[in-house]
Amino acid sequence: MRLVPRDEWRTVLAALHASGLVYLDLLTAVERDAGLEVVARVVRPGSAAAEVIVAALPADDLRIDSAVPVYPGAAWHERETAEMFGIEFTGHPDPRPLLLRTGLGAPPLRKGTVLAARVVQPWPGEFEPSRPDRAGSPSRRRARPLGVLDGWPDEGGRP
Amino acid sequence: MTVRGVIALIPDACTSCMLCVRECPTWCISLQAHPEQVVDEGARRPRTVNVLDAFAIDFGLCMYCGICVDVCPFDALEWAPDHDYGAATRAGLVQPMERLAAWLAPP
Amino acid sequence: MKWVTSPPASAYRLAGDLGVRVVVANLGLACCSMEVEAAVARGLLVPDDGQDPESTVLLVSGTVTDALAPAVLSARDHLDGEVVVVSFGACASTGGPYWDAPTVTKGIDQLLPVAGYVPGCPPRPEALVAGLLDVLRDRP
Repeated sequence: MRLVPRDEWRTVLAALHASGLVYLDLLTAVERDAGLEVVARVVRPGSAAAEVIVAALPADDLRIDSAVPVYPGAAWHERETAEMFGIEFTGHPDPRPLLLRTGLGAPPLRKGTVLAARVVQPWPGEFEPSRPDRAGSPSRRRARPLGVLDGWPDEGGRP
Repeated sequence: MTVRGVIALIPDACTSCMLCVRECPTWCISLQAHPEQVVDEGARRPRTVNVLDAFAIDFGLCMYCGICVDVCPFDALEWAPDHDYGAATRAGLVQPMERLAAWLAPP
Repeated sequence: MKWVTSPPASAYRLAGDLGVRVVVANLGLACCSMEVEAAVARGLLVPDDGQDPESTVLLVSGTVTDALAPAVLSARDHLDGEVVVVSFGACASTGGPYWDAPTVTKGIDQLLPVAGYVPGCPPRPEALVAGLLDVLRDRP
């Protein structure tokens, strides 16, 4: 894995492509505390040669150059990453949403995005048999669905 | 290994501990219970037990992962081989306690 | 927005003499469709022979996303006559394991009337036959 300055993203990709790693295996993003990271893995077809490069994006400026001029196959990955993480790939030739209809709000794969369905639907595990009249009250036992953040859903939640 | 049949409930073995309800990834189990005081002869204080009032599995949501069966400390949930329980309505996929208990009952 | 749709590719009949002449058009959208193929492999379903059926079933087997919902309606419109819709598996019935996903339709009954639900994730091939018979025998 190689950390790459964001401004050199496309330059580095072009150099990797020129060195024979011509197949884009994967392009996605990972959310960290400080912001997001865009991850790409490129491989040399027919061999085990591969490289993973990572560029960090600050939370207040989620933009990065599109890889499509170098790897045309990145177009689909970038469309998905853009709508799922809210990243703008500048220079993408066709930045239409891939899966989401427009107007759906926050990017679904960001940790701060609350799944509306899980807010609307009461969690059946909230019920406490020893105090059936006080569902949802703080309890010694865990009374929060698995995998949701502290303060969920009322306070927005932080990891 | 599941048989992809149906999940049966043995109500007498259930202590209403809520483990299955809270572990279910699809939130397809619901449970209602209330506490009752039981006085044991010779005991200094009555003890509190949870009495199961209602239990239901929504087989429209269930992904048959078997976590509820695995996690139950008292083996109150078991796999049963039946598979013929389609429904004409969405609500018909939600099976109450009596129906869940019947899957393991002797014929 | 334009959608590219075609009639469901695979049409089957129930094997054997079960008292119903039905064409089952399988709209396979996800893994549940494998169980329909398993039913074919086990001989529970046979390829459609083209004879006039008493009933036509649109079997929706798999996850329906909101983006794909128009294609499900279009598939129904591509079938002749009265079409009985059967929801096969948890995803088609309620969204299943993906019920909380913002892109997934929470059951095809939000799109069109459903005559029968076959639960399972995925249901077994035998459950498909049982579910179809339930739906068809209840009909006049």
